[in-house]
Parts: sequence; structure tokens; C-alpha cells
Amino acid sequence: MECTSKQQMKTLIAVSIIALVALALIPQIVHAQLAQQTSAKQYINLRAEVWNEFFRMTTAAFTVGAIVSGTMIWLVWRFRESNPKNKAPTKWEHMDDPTAGSYEEEGH
Amino acid sequence: MVLELQKPRPVWQIMFSTHHTDVGYLYLVFGITFLFMGGVLAMIIRTHLFFPGQGVLVSDSATFNRIFTVHGLTMLFLFALPVANGIGNILVPIMVRYKDMAYPKLNAIAFWMNPVGAALLWLGFADTTWVSYAPYSIIRAPGPAADMFIFGMKILGISSILSSINFVVTIVKCKHPDLPLRRVPLFAWSMLTVSLMTIVAMPTYASALIMMLTDRLGLSGFFNPFAGGDPIAYLHLFWFTFHPEVYIFLLPAIGMMYEIIPRFSRKPLYSQASGVFAFVMLGIIGFASWGHHMYSTGMDFTTKVVFMIGTLAAVPASGMHVFNFLATMWGGRIRFAAPMKFAVGGIALFFSAGAGGVLNSAMPLDFISHGTYWVVGHMHLFLIGTIGFGFVGMIYYMFPYVTGRMYSEKWASAHFVLMFWGTVQTFFTQHLLGLEGMPRRVYDYPTEFTSWTQLNQISTIGAWMIGASFAIFLASLIYYSAKGKEANMDDPWGIGGKYYYPVAAKNPHGGHSGY
Amino acid sequence: MGHDTAEWVFVAIVIAVLCYVGVDSWIVQKAVEDVPADAEVIKVTGQQWYWSFEHADGTKEISTLHVKKGHAYKFEIYSRDVMHSFNIPDWVVFEDAVPGHTNHAWFAPDQAGTYPIQCREYCGLLHYNMRGSLVVEDDKS
Ligand code: HEM
Ligand SMILES: [Cu+2]
Ligand SMILES: [Cu+2]
Repeated sequence: MECTSKQQMKTLIAVSIIALVALALIPQIVHAQLAQQTSAKQYINLRAEVWNEFFRMTTAAFTVGAIVSGTMIWLVWRFRESNPKNKAPTKWEHMDDPTAGSYEEEGH
Repeated sequence: MVLELQKPRPVWQIMFSTHHTDVGYLYLVFGITFLFMGGVLAMIIRTHLFFPGQGVLVSDSATFNRIFTVHGLTMLFLFALPVANGIGNILVPIMVRYKDMAYPKLNAIAFWMNPVGAALLWLGFADTTWVSYAPYSIIRAPGPAADMFIFGMKILGISSILSSINFVVTIVKCKHPDLPLRRVPLFAWSMLTVSLMTIVAMPTYASALIMMLTDRLGLSGFFNPFAGGDPIAYLHLFWFTFHPEVYIFLLPAIGMMYEIIPRFSRKPLYSQASGVFAFVMLGIIGFASWGHHMYSTGMDFTTKVVFMIGTLAAVPASGMHVFNFLATMWGGRIRFAAPMKFAVGGIALFFSAGAGGVLNSAMPLDFISHGTYWVVGHMHLFLIGTIGFGFVGMIYYMFPYVTGRMYSEKWASAHFVLMFWGTVQTFFTQHLLGLEGMPRRVYDYPTEFTSWTQLNQISTIGAWMIGASFAIFLASLIYYSAKGKEANMDDPWGIGGKYYYPVAAKNPHGGHSGY
Repeated sequence: MGHDTAEWVFVAIVIAVLCYVGVDSWIVQKAVEDVPADAEVIKVTGQQWYWSFEHADGTKEISTLHVKKGHAYKFEIYSRDVMHSFNIPDWVVFEDAVPGHTNHAWFAPDQAGTYPIQCREYCGLLHYNMRGSLVVEDDKS
């Protein structure tokens, strides 16, 4: 149980890294192409610059948001006590005060 | 209150008490009362904006301006700070294992300054906006409202400095010698962080208020450009206090989530150390970003870059809190009782607010967002989404302790669903309104932009849902504190384990896990 | 500090995203703050509760501003009383009008039409109604 959740966490992190790298590159490429098309103009197109920046930033925000909220929804679904997989008490529940101190100190 | 419902004490005994739990109740009752008063103003604002073209409900812009000003002031200074102080008063001494706050009389004095400040703000009903930028607040804002605002804020500021001193001394000097500071529970750490921040930040605003007063009286011209002063100086002083102050509003809610989430996940916190680290980081870096409120005041490029970096630097620490919460839930066995629902909903909205904040700090996006409804949407994701949800969760968490009875999970669920949905609908929509260019603090908007009208109506309906959810909250607070089932005080939710802090307060001598 | 690797990786990702945000907005901001040298100056004055404009040739206008398509304009923004904020949402023109200071903004409209002008900083009673319009005309000369 412990192991799988660690593993899942690592997969999740790996997927996130790949997603973020893609995220950083794709808009740059698209942007560069758009910029070539509009380079005939005399002045830089102020509003296009700013709005493009806005869309790059929102893409980043929504990608990270999808990862975080996806994780949250999964966590809520997987670790709710009513999930049949969670019938057995966790190993911390026998302690008198499982929340005193923290994870690393309880010898995890 | 406490068990006051079971063993009633005359009310004046609580009012004149200096005991930390009694002062805590006073703060809570005061704060919750003003939550509803500020909420009524919010409902008026949103209902008014349902239709463009002079709107409905409020017949002149002067009144409208006063309403949103007092709404903001009330929610921040008469709801958010007092409720944090109330919960802090009740729990911090217990968490550090001391008999009371360090200075009980000072504690009571700090509380009793609040009603005075509140009276000045509400009787004055100023129209300065809560930021009260110079020179409007100096040369144009009508008195005596604006002067009453200055004195009211002055008093509330002093009160918050006094209570901060009290918290710092209680935690640092009065904690039990066996309890190392790093093991102090994270809610107490959040109170320690915000108290230290208050002590550093607040005097700046306090002095700016005095300068504003003498400017208004014509004795000086610090911020008055027509007397040789500079309004930008006011903005710097104001935001030097109030950017840190936004963390002061926020962190107690994060601390409350640290109290709730491990309990209902039936699991130790993922990392105490990382929570402490993130609080301290926020407490320090929070002081490096005030200029992000002033990008458009004519700031030069280099200064903007510095403040942008300062702002972005604070983000990882907030991220660490989110990580800590999620990693704590991971592998637990979670009971979604009301406090946990609100805590988890709060994390989701906290994250959305933070993502919006990163966008705000990107300099060019300021052209689009600053001074529009985007900002109103963004800040309310923090204010109601994080602070509101954290506090409401904590109030449900404290309910059995304070009343000796249980609230109804069913009604609490209804409250949660309505409030969560309403918050998303109201404030996500306001982001879109901002992108369409609608300025904030407007009494009315043009009829010809149909999308503005539609978005405003969607937002208003969301606000009514929040309003309805709080009507449920109020009704159940009252009804179940009198008629609720008696709570099992050792373990009100039946989640096992004897780790419900407030119980120790009820029974200082009744050996609960040694507290 | 007792964090485990998962947390460090998470923090590293967050920092990477923030660096991307910071660098990207540095580049864009640098580009858009660069006012073209041939931009024509228009003086903009905010006061409770209307905007007035003065062109380089001395022509004055109130509330409605006429400009020509294909030209660059630099706004010099003043205030006569309290803070205002000069804003043409459709052209992403936005800068505060601060009494005692001169602020700048610029744009080069490439599309004819009429666009709203508004005030985006609270300035009192009729702040909501401190609106005007921008008329971009085809350059016939
Ligand atoms: C029922 C939930 C709420 C609704 C529907 C609501 C609605 C609003 C609206 C529409 C405005 C903008 C007024 C305008 O710009 O014209 C506003 C401003 C504000 N609100 Fe709220 N609000 C709510 C809860 C809160 C809470 C919980 C807080 C703080 C803890 C808060 C703090 C503020 C502040 C500081 C302002 C700015 C006031 C100003 O511009 O001077 N609000 N609110
Ligand atoms: Cu700030
Ligand atoms: Cu205005």
C-alpha cells in the first residue's frame, strides 16, 4: 500500500515534468511563427503582444491547475473512508495521538 | 457559549473576563456578527449590479461607494482578523501548554478596542475605498466619514499590534519548556508568523494614517500634491503594510487547515518542518512584493522587475503548503465531515487564487487586469475561497467544543455545496468580466455591452447562492447550539484517537493525552 | 529540513514554472514599453469626472479623442485633482493619472472604429461614468 502510493506519486511527478516542458516549448514555437507572419508591420502590435502573453500564462496556469485539481479529486475519491479499499484502519490509528509530531518523525 | 449553554454563566462574566477562552469567544461572536453584516452589504452590491443603467436597490453612487468601502473594511478588519484572533486565543495557549495568554489584561483591552473601531467605521460609513488612496482621501473624501475612518483604522491597528505582541510572547516565552518551538503545532506557528509580520508592517500604515489626518486638516502636505506632497508616497506606505497584511489575513486560515486535515485524514501531518519553513518564508518574502500593486503608477521598468521577482519568490512557499496538505491526505482514511469538506474546498480555491496571482504578477498582464473586476474575482478567491472556507471549517470544528452539541452534517453539507458552487460561479465569472474591461468600484455599467450584463447576472446569482448558504449557516449555528444532539466531547466525530485540541481547553485538569 | 524527494521535485517544478513566467513577462514588458521614436504626443488630462486631450498641433478635445490609423501615439497623462487611470481596453492602453506626476502610455492603432475610453482608478462620485470614446479614422492625407 505504502509502496504503491509512493510509486504513484513518482509517476505523477514524472508526467507533470514532461507536461510542463512541453508547455514551456509549444507556445514559444507557435509564438515565433505568429511573430513571423506579423513582422511586416511598422510598429510592434502592443495589444497582440500582451494578449499572447496572457494566453501563454493561462495555458501554463490551467495545465498546472489540471494536474493539481486532478490529483485532488483522485485523492478525495481514493482515500475517502467509504472507499472499500479503505476498510482497514491505517497504521497510525492505533497511536494515542497520531497527529502529534509529523510523518518523518514517526519513522516512516 | 462553552458549555455556557449547559452551565449558563451571566453574560457579563464573559464580557469582563480576561481568560483566554472567554476573550476568544468575544472575538468569535464579534467576528461572526460582522461577517453577516459585511455579507449583507455584499448582497446589496451584487443585487444592485444585476441590471445596468442605474441598477436596482441603491439609488445614488455616493451610497454605493460607501457600501463597497464598508463591505471591504468590515470583512477584512472586523471579520477576518477578529475570527483569527478568536480561534488563536482559544487554541494557542493550549497548543503551547500555558495557562492563559501572556498578558491577559492586554488581551481583553485589545479585544475591546475592536467594537470602538467598528463603531467608527460603521457610523462614519466612508467612501474612500478600503485602500483610501491619496489625494482623494485627503482633498475630496467627505468628512466626518473619512476622519472617522482614520480614527477607526487607527484604533483597529493598535489593537492588532497589541494582540500580536501578546501572541508572540505567549508562544515564544510562555510555551512549556519541554516543547521545542519547532514542535509547536502549525496553527500556533501561523499565529506566530502573522503576529511578527503585524509588528513589522502595521506601524507604517499607522503613521501613514496620522499623516493623512494632518493632511486632511491642512497642517501638512505629505501626500497632497497641491501642497508639495506626493500621493505615490502614500501608496508605498500603504502597500508596504498591506501586502504583508494579505498574508496576515491568509495564514491563520492555512494554519486552521493544518489543524483539520491530519485529524480527519487520521494520519500525521506529512511534514511539520516544511510547514514551519513555508510559514517563515512567506513571513519574510511577503515583505518583498508590495510594489506589484503599483505597476501602473508610473513605475520604471527595473523597479517593476524587482517587485515581480519579489512576488514570484513567495509562490513556492504557498505551493509547499498545498503539497503538504495533499501529501497528508495521501494514504489516509479520510472522514469528510464538515470541517474537512471546507478545508479541502478551501485548498482548491486557494490554488486557483494563487494561479491567478502568478498571472497578476506578470508585468504586462497588469495592463489587462489591474483595477478591473479581475482583481475583485482574484482577491475573493483568497478572501472567501481560502479565508472564508478555512474559517467556516474551523467554526464547525470548534462547534461541539463551544456548545457541547453537534451541528447537523446534512445542513453543513448543503452549506458547503452552495457556498462552493456559489464562490466558483461568482468569482470565476468576475475574472471574465475583468478581461472584458469592466472596472471595479463602479456603481453602474453601460447598457450597450450585453456580455457585461450577462456576466454580471451570472455573478450575482452565484452571490445569492453564497448568501443562501450563509443563511443556512446562521440558522444552524443558532438552532443546533440550542437543540443539537449532545456531542461526545472526547471524539465528537467518532474518528478515533484523543487528539481533539479544544477538549483540553474545556477540561484543563482532565487528563487528555497529557495536555 | 526533513522534506523528502517528492517535495523537492515539486518545489523545483514550481520554481521552473515561475522562471518561465518571469522571463516571458520580462521580454514582453521590455518590448511593449519601448515607445516608437516617431510617436506623436497627445496630452491626456483626467479630472473629476472627464478626460480632456490636447494634440501636438494644439487642438483640444473633451471626452472624445480622434486619432489616425497607422500612426503611433504617445500619451502624456496628467491629473488635475485625484488619481484616475486612463484606459482604452480594446487597445490595452492603461496607465494611472497621478496628480504631480507625468505618466506615459502609447499605442499604434491599425484598425479604424470607435472604442470606449474609461477610468480604472476610483476617483469619487461619478467614477463609474468617467467614460469617453476613441475614434480611429482612416488616414486620408
Ligand atoms: C458573499 C461573499 C462576497 C461577495 C458576493 C462579495 C462581493 C464583493 C464585490 C462585488 C466587491 C466589489 C465592489 C466593487 O468593486 O464595486 C467586493 C469588494 C471587496 N470585498 Fe467582497 N464579497 C464577498 C465576501 C468578502 C469577504 C469574505 C471578504 C474579506 C474577507 C471581502 C473583502 C472585500 C474587499 C477588501 C473588497 C474591496 C473593497 C474596495 O474596493 O474598497 N469580501 N466584494
Ligand atoms: Cu500584494
Ligand atoms: Cu475614476
